[in-house]
Parts: sequence; C-alpha cells; structure tokens
Amino acid sequence: MSSLLREAERCIANQNSYTALNALISTLHSSGQWLDRIREADTRRAQGRPESRLDGRLVVIKDNICTRELPTTCASRALDKFTSPFNATIVQQLEDAGAIVAGKANLDEFGMGSHSVNSYFGPVKNMYRSRNAEDLSAGGSSGGSAVAVATEQCYTALGTDTGGSVRLPAAYTGIVGFKPSYGLISRWGVVAYANSLDTVGIFGREVSSVRDVFDILNQHDPRDPTNLSPGTRSRIDDHFTSPRLASRTTTNSLKIGVPVEYNISELAPSVRRAWSRSLNHMLQQGHTIHPVSLPTTQIALSAYYVLAPAEASSNLAKYDGVRYGTSLNGDHYHPQMNSYLYARTRGEGLGSEVKRRILLGAFSLSAGAIDNYFIQAQRIRRLVQRDFNAIFLAKHPLMPRPLDGDEVNYKGSQAQVDVLICPTAPSSPPALSNLVGEGANCSPLDAYMNDVLTVPASLAGLPAASVPVTDESTESLVGVQIIGQYGDDALVLEVAGMLSNKRL
Amino acid sequence: MLRPWLRQGPRATRSFTCPQCLHLLRRSPQQQLQQSLLPSATLASPRRSLQTTAVPESTDRVPLRKQLKQDAKSLRARKRQTREDEEASRQKWELTVGIEIHAQLNTEAKLFSKAPTSSAELPNSNVALFDLAFPGSQPEFQIATLLPALRAAIALNCDIQPVSKFDRKHYFYQDQPAGYQITQYYEPLAKNGYVDLFRYDGIAPEDGDHVRIGIKQIQMEQDTAKSQEYPPSMQLLDFNRVSHPLIEIITMPQIHTPATAAACVRKIQSILQSCSAVITGMELGGLRADVNVSIRQRGDVAGNHRYGGIGGLGQRTEIKNLSSFKAVEDAIIAEKNRQIAVLESGGVVEGETRGWTIGSTETRRLRGKEGEVDYRYMPDPDLPPVYIGEDLISELRRTLPTGSDALLSLLTGAEYGLTIEDAKPLVELDDGARLEYYQDVVDLLRQQHPGTDSKTQQALARLASNWVLHELGGLLTKAELAWDSQPVPADSLASLLDHLQRKLITGPTAKQVLALVFDGDQRSIPQLLEEENLLLRPLSREEYIALAEAAIALNPSMVEQIRQKNQLGKLGWFVGQMMRMGEKGRVEAPKADTILRELILEGAK
Repeated sequence: MSSLLREAERCIANQNSYTALNALISTLHSSGQWLDRIREADTRRAQGRPESRLDGRLVVIKDNICTRELPTTCASRALDKFTSPFNATIVQQLEDAGAIVAGKANLDEFGMGSHSVNSYFGPVKNMYRSRNAEDLSAGGSSGGSAVAVATEQCYTALGTDTGGSVRLPAAYTGIVGFKPSYGLISRWGVVAYANSLDTVGIFGREVSSVRDVFDILNQHDPRDPTNLSPGTRSRIDDHFTSPRLASRTTTNSLKIGVPVEYNISELAPSVRRAWSRSLNHMLQQGHTIHPVSLPTTQIALSAYYVLAPAEASSNLAKYDGVRYGTSLNGDHYHPQMNSYLYARTRGEGLGSEVKRRILLGAFSLSAGAIDNYFIQAQRIRRLVQRDFNAIFLAKHPLMPRPLDGDEVNYKGSQAQVDVLICPTAPSSPPALSNLVGEGANCSPLDAYMNDVLTVPASLAGLPAASVPVTDESTESLVGVQIIGQYGDDALVLEVAGMLSNKRL
Repeated sequence: MLRPWLRQGPRATRSFTCPQCLHLLRRSPQQQLQQSLLPSATLASPRRSLQTTAVPESTDRVPLRKQLKQDAKSLRARKRQTREDEEASRQKWELTVGIEIHAQLNTEAKLFSKAPTSSAELPNSNVALFDLAFPGSQPEFQIATLLPALRAAIALNCDIQPVSKFDRKHYFYQDQPAGYQITQYYEPLAKNGYVDLFRYDGIAPEDGDHVRIGIKQIQMEQDTAKSQEYPPSMQLLDFNRVSHPLIEIITMPQIHTPATAAACVRKIQSILQSCSAVITGMELGGLRADVNVSIRQRGDVAGNHRYGGIGGLGQRTEIKNLSSFKAVEDAIIAEKNRQIAVLESGGVVEGETRGWTIGSTETRRLRGKEGEVDYRYMPDPDLPPVYIGEDLISELRRTLPTGSDALLSLLTGAEYGLTIEDAKPLVELDDGARLEYYQDVVDLLRQQHPGTDSKTQQALARLASNWVLHELGGLLTKAELAWDSQPVPADSLASLLDHLQRKLITGPTAKQVLALVFDGDQRSIPQLLEEENLLLRPLSREEYIALAEAAIALNPSMVEQIRQKNQLGKLGWFVGQMMRMGEKGRVEAPKADTILRELILEGAK
C-alpha cells in the first residue's frame, strides 16, 4: 500500500476515533473520488514529480472559508445548511497543489471567540485534559483546525487569525500556528469578521509543513483588493534581501527583543518559565537578548475590541436570510406588522457572542460614540504600529519614511531587534467548565483578556507564529510567540524552527 | 401593457430611500397602476369638485357658454389671488432650498463587479457574487465607472479630489443585500462646484437674469435592488439594478424659489446628459431628487440652523424621492406653505422627513427626528482610496463637449445673432445632432459667400437656423418623423438657401423645393430648379405695375379702406392677389409690396 494513501487512511481513522473532540463540522465521505486523487499523487511521488509537498495530503479548512464541495457554516445557525457556490482562492490553490480537503473545522461562530465554545455545533474540546481529568479549551477561534492537526486527523490545516485565533489554539494544543503578514494570503472566499485584521493562518505539527503551505498560498490574488500586488511584493522582497538584512541569518547571531510590557502579572509561572528558558536557549545558540518597550500593549487590547466588533457589525449585516442561509421568517412577510423581514432570522440565527459584538460595534460606530471609540481606536492602532517600527531593526518596507520626527527620537532610545520572543497566551488552557455551562466563571471580558499578547501583532499586521516548547522540569507544554517586522515572514518561520518542539 | 409601470412604479417610490420611509411610501401595484394610467384624472379631480360646489344643482339652468365664461373668470380670479398671496408671503418669508440629486451613471459594469448594468434583462441575471453579498466575496472596483462620474464633476465645475474614499452607510432593507450601501461620505469624489442658471433655464422672475447655485459635493455610490410588492404578503426582488453606479450631487442651500429649484434639477440633468455621464433622465427613473426646505422671516432675527456651511437658516425638512421637475416645484411650494402656516399659527417646524405624491397638494410626514436612521458610516476596510491624477482630469476636461451655456452664448452672440428662442432648441434637440447639422449648413453657406461683412454672415446664420428649425423641422413634425439628416443632406439645404439668399428663387419656391427633396427627389438643387423651371426670372417694374393695377381694379372698395382708415394690413392681401395672378414663382413679395404702396398710398396724395 502506498504511503500517502496509508497516511490519509490513518487520518480518516483518527477523525473517527476523535469525534468526541468535535473538531470537524463536516468530513469527506469515506469512499469517493479523493481516494483516486491520492493514488494518483502517490504515483507522481514515486515518479519523482509531485505537484508540491502537499500533493496527496489531507488538509482541514476552517469552516469560515468557502468550499464548493462541503458546506461553509461559520458555526452559525444562520448558515447551518449553506454551501458556497465557489471555492476560496486558498482552497483552489491547495487543490491545485494536489492537496485534498478532508473536512471543515469547528470554530467560534464567525471567528468570534477565544475558546471555540461559541459554536452552533457545540464546543471543541482539547485532546489534553487537566490533572483532574477536566475537559480543556482548545483555544479559539480556530480550535477545530488546531485539534484536527494535533490529533493527526489531517496533515495540516487552515485557520483565520483576526486577533490571535490561530496562535492561541496552536499554543493550547501544542502545535505550530502561523499568522503571516496582512495582505500576503488571499481572503477571497474567507468569510469576513473584521476585514482589516482577518488573516489566513496555517497549522502544522512542524514548522516545515507550515512553510510548505505558506509557499503555496503566498501569491497575489486580484480578486482580493487587500492582497498585495506583484509590484509591492517584489519591493518587500528587495527590502529583505538587501545585504544588510539578508546577512541576519547567515551570521547566526540574531538580536532577540523581549517586550517588557508582555511580562504581565497575570502570566502563569509555567508560561513565564518557558519564556525565559526559550530566551536562554537562544542565548546559548549565540543570539543576543535585548529588552524593548511597546508602551501601547495594554490599550491595544481595548482598541482591538472596538475595531473588530465595529467591522463585524457591518460585515454581518448581510445575514438576513433573504438570498441564502437560514431564514426563520416563515413563509409570509407582513409589512403592515411593521416588523423587519429578518428580525427573527437574525435574532435566532446568530449566537449570543456574535450578537454581543454586533451591538458593541453598532454602538461604537453610532453618531454619538464614533469619535470617542472608533476614531480613537484607529489612532491607537497607528500608535501600536509606531511602537513596533521603533524597535525593529528592519524598517517597515511599505513605510520607508518615519511617520514624523517624533519617531526618530523614539527609535534612538530603543534597542533595535530582528524579532520579538514572548508568550502566546498568559496561561495554560482553562477548563471548559469554567467557560460554558453552570460552572462558568469566566465573563466575556475575562475571555477578551486572553488575547492581550496576540492582539498587538494583529493590529500592526505583523507576521507572528506560536510554537510549542516543553518545560522539562514540569513536562508542561507552552506556546511561545515569535513576532517579526511586516514582510519579514521568512525570518519569523526561521526562528520558529529554532524553538519549535524543543524540550528546554 | 404592464411593463412601463412595472419598471417605473417601484423605482419611483423605492430607490435611494431608507427603510422607515419606505414602509410609508409603499403602495400596492394596483394603486400604482391607477395612478400612472390616470394621471390627468387625478390632477383634474380637485377642480371638478370646485365646480360642483360653485354651481349648486338647484339653480336654474345656465347656458353652457355663460357658464364656461364664468368658470374661466373665476379661475383667473383664483389664480390672481394665489399669485398675490404668494407674493405677500414671499415678501414676508424667505424660502431656502437645497437639493440632492441621485443619477444613474452611464457605465457598462456595476460599481464593484464586472456584471453588466443593463436592467432590461431577465430579472436577477446580471449579478455577481459581491452584488448579492455572498459570504467571502469582495468588491472589485470598476475603474471605468470613474470616467462618467469625473465628466459630471468637471461639467459641474467641481474640484476633483486627488484622493477620495469609500464608506459604508448602514441600514437594513431587503433591497440592500449587504446591509449597507457603499458611498463616499468622509472623502467624496469632488467638491465646491456650481451650476449657472439663466433666465432661459426657466428660473423665477425674481431671480433676475442669472443665479449661481453652489454644489457642495459629488459622491459615487451603489444603487439598490428593485422590489415589487404583491399584497398582502409577497415581494419580488430583482438584483439586476443593485450596485449600478450612481452619483449623488448635493447643492448648497442657495435656492430661494420653487421655480428655480425645478430649473436647477432640469439644468443639472441636461448637463449630465450632454457630457454623457447619464443617459436616462427623470422620466425613466434614472434621476431622482430629494429637497431640503426651510423658511425664515425676512429681515428679522436670523434662524439658528446651519446647513452646508450656511448659517442663520430656519429648521429644515427633507422631502424624499421626487421623480419629476414638476414634483420638485410643487412639493417645495406645498412644503413652504405648510411651514409658513405652522409658524404663523405659533407652532414650531420639526426636523423631519416628508414625502410627496404626484398630484397632491400637501407633503406628508414620513418620520421625525426620533425615527432618524443612524447610518453608522464606516470607512470600507476592503476598498483602497481612489487616487486621481491631474493628467486624467485635464485629458477629460479637454475632451468634454462644450457646455450648453457656452453654445447658447456663442449662438446668440455677434457671430450668429440668433434669438435665445431659436438657439435653445438648436442646442437641446436631438442630442446635439440638430446643432451639428445646423453648423454644417452654416459652414457651407458661408463658403458660398466668402469675404462678406459680419452683418451678412449673421443673416446667413439666421436664415439657416430658421430653415433648419422651422421649415425642415415642420416637415419632420408633419410626417411624424424623428430627426434625421438623411432626407435633406446639409449640402442640399445649403445650396437651396444659397439660391434664396442670392434671390435666384423666391421664398415660396424654396419651400416647395425643400418639400420635394424631403419627399425623396434625388436631383441636385441646381438641376431640380433648372428642370422644373423654378429659377426666378424677375418681372420688370412695368409688369409689377400692370399686375398691381389689375388687382386694384378688381377690389376698389378695399383700396378705399386702406386709404381712408389706413388699414395697412390689407396691403398684404393685395400682395397675395398679385402673386396668384402673376406667373408662378416670379412675383417677389417685397417688390410687389413696394409697388402697391406707391400706387395706393402715394397715388392718393
């Protein structure tokens, strides 16, 4: 039996044995054309001419990414039977590279959540359990994709990362999660939550498989107006392949930044220990460590929770059950009843967290509040970006000139580093019983706090990866985050490879 | 035929409005059918009821003729009274109006997809994924849609903004698939323009010869879908129209009379059409207007409202969705009078949105301030800014057709010397084709008369205008044909007029020949005149005197009347007699007239 087919069948078997984790909303039929496609890929591989490193491999797609073959529900009742008439560009790119879409992953409804519990199809469970055998959070919102990869239900998986939705579940499930720079991977066919932040992210058990997928998806797509043009891409390439920046990896001595604001009091001791051991490891490898300051870290979280819901309230206005999706309006509409056609569809079709964010967003965009919320948050977003530009040695390739004279002074007072290393999440995964049901003691605000370490890179559109490291002293698995300058994705993946799956 | 009202009715009430007012605006297709089929009945009904009350049935039978006279008299009296009332209230109250015009741009594709704009196709056939707001779809801005928008902005004398941006305007309605309309709120395409209105544009007499109305801004935006209601509970949606590119033109509140407001909308429509920014006008729903109306007492305390940067105004109301020039004028008159009545009875004008039904005499409240929609404008995070280079603007400016005002002043100036009454139709008729034909005729005529003085040049231009508009135009009207330069090519008309100008043929002969050519005579003008023996062989003075004396001899009593009572008008009758009696096509009216005057008037002395 060929090796790719054996690998695929092992994945399908795992899908069946891990159904209790609720990672997948829809899966392939056990028999089907895909088996032939894998046999063909095996033949190509035997002949030494595979389509790509993904040829004949199973990938799982987060269920807010459109696929023609399988439904795209966004884990929402509003779309529970919806099948998109088209494939997302990234799905097409993977299929063209020979990959097989093996299932659609469970998520927080429309990507809104940090624990993958806000799903119409029920919460995702982490395959790890607490010491007293409690079910743990898989992280969110791409929890289903992360669990599918971690339990080998597929080779690799796609998620979306708006404020940490790929990195956080990667940290909680002990795998690699990568959010590239904003604008590199096409969003055509990715259902929008907050367009200016939404980024497609990649899960893998190894950095190498993540890089393989990234190489396939990192292409210009004219259908996504926020996707970087070929011209801009080559400008970025030229910038990072200039002798000064290209030598960073060859000299084997990187300047590692440690953002002091990320050492928050809420940090669990195990997380802080893993962070410090990771830095130690890098030091031993000949790299240097430099404390840096990102003063807007705290307010970045507030800004994120103003901006993302604002865009969400706008993007989700389309789900009215008129043209597609679930309609709960009944057969007849009576205008004289003076109620909106879709009031029930939206009232019952959308979950409580989605409605909470729509209300938040509608408020922050309203005439009386926009100046104090939306506009202020946009200003903070600019400051967050400036914070990062002040500490990275490499300039932002799309902002060659400093924004103002202030930045020059600012830059002068800080160490200049190549990448940042920090934790992905403040703690290990919480028990699901703390998040949902009668024992829930975690308010929405507490859940939002969990994103404090991932949100700044999202606001600035920077590449960031979460890699698993094991603290040998306690055998605990912790996610460590690497953040780079905009467009410096290759360096982030390189450093990720230095730390990933290390026992420290 | 259902089609005309199907297409027009829903659009007339539906587009460009927000949900609240739509509930109230909505009428059943049945009602719409009645209204569009029976406009005259609706308009006439109030007058008819007045008549029945004025003439009680119990009174004795009044002769019809007398009754008609009475009616006409009382109608005149009423009109005079209305005029006087209007004037009195105008003296006391100043009206201020600002207008928002929405116009469908002349583009092939929709604003954010490659789907065609043609709305005559099968319902729901011209839609792309983004037009239907499918999950995961994204906008693809069609750059070509900028061209008609920019032409409009240039023709309306606006400053094109080097950077403009798209924003989302949120409101829920089933004809709005995304739950928001993409428009340009924070950074519009163009600002600070103006439109000049002249007496010939039909402005109110009190506005004098000319007013200039400022244009605050022009923005691009999406149209909505078309919906049709089938009571009690069915609505059909056609998304072909959704995301058709529109421009919204916002004037400054600088209009002070209803007539000038209507003239402003009419003028803007004609400017948009003449630069091909817009094809369908108000009559087909391609253009719609909302008006903002406020009043304040003249010379008194300034009002404390401020709109479009103009302060001291009264509280305004907005009347939505006006679909004809007459509706603009009538709705403003009605709303002005309503506000005056409110203020004069000690009330307060509320800031609210009102509606207008064609044929009614009052605006009606749609929703008040508390019902205002908060549109929650947000920059669209998927759409990059639009950057417009100076080179594009100057190229468009260079290739823009000359504006109608410039054409009119050229035609009424020294070079052509036309009256405004002749110049206007030349410019406005047949999309410029009539003017082009006219220009050809004038050019050819002037080539035949080189080196002549400017007075002759003007005379040639006037002659050509008269024949193009009235003689040729009359033949077309009589034959019920649309404009076509083919039956009488420009060189034929020029040749004919050349003969006339050189007095080689008489006026009546020229008309006769024009009719022959119009009816398909293919011969060249000189050949035709030759073969039909129509060239003028002038009569001698003696021959004229002989003809005149013969005519006088037959009608001595009329000669007496002319002499005694100085009824000079009757000379013309004698001219006619001479032309009838003389050889066909040889008697020239001016010469006959001269001889007659000599014989009848001078001979008497």
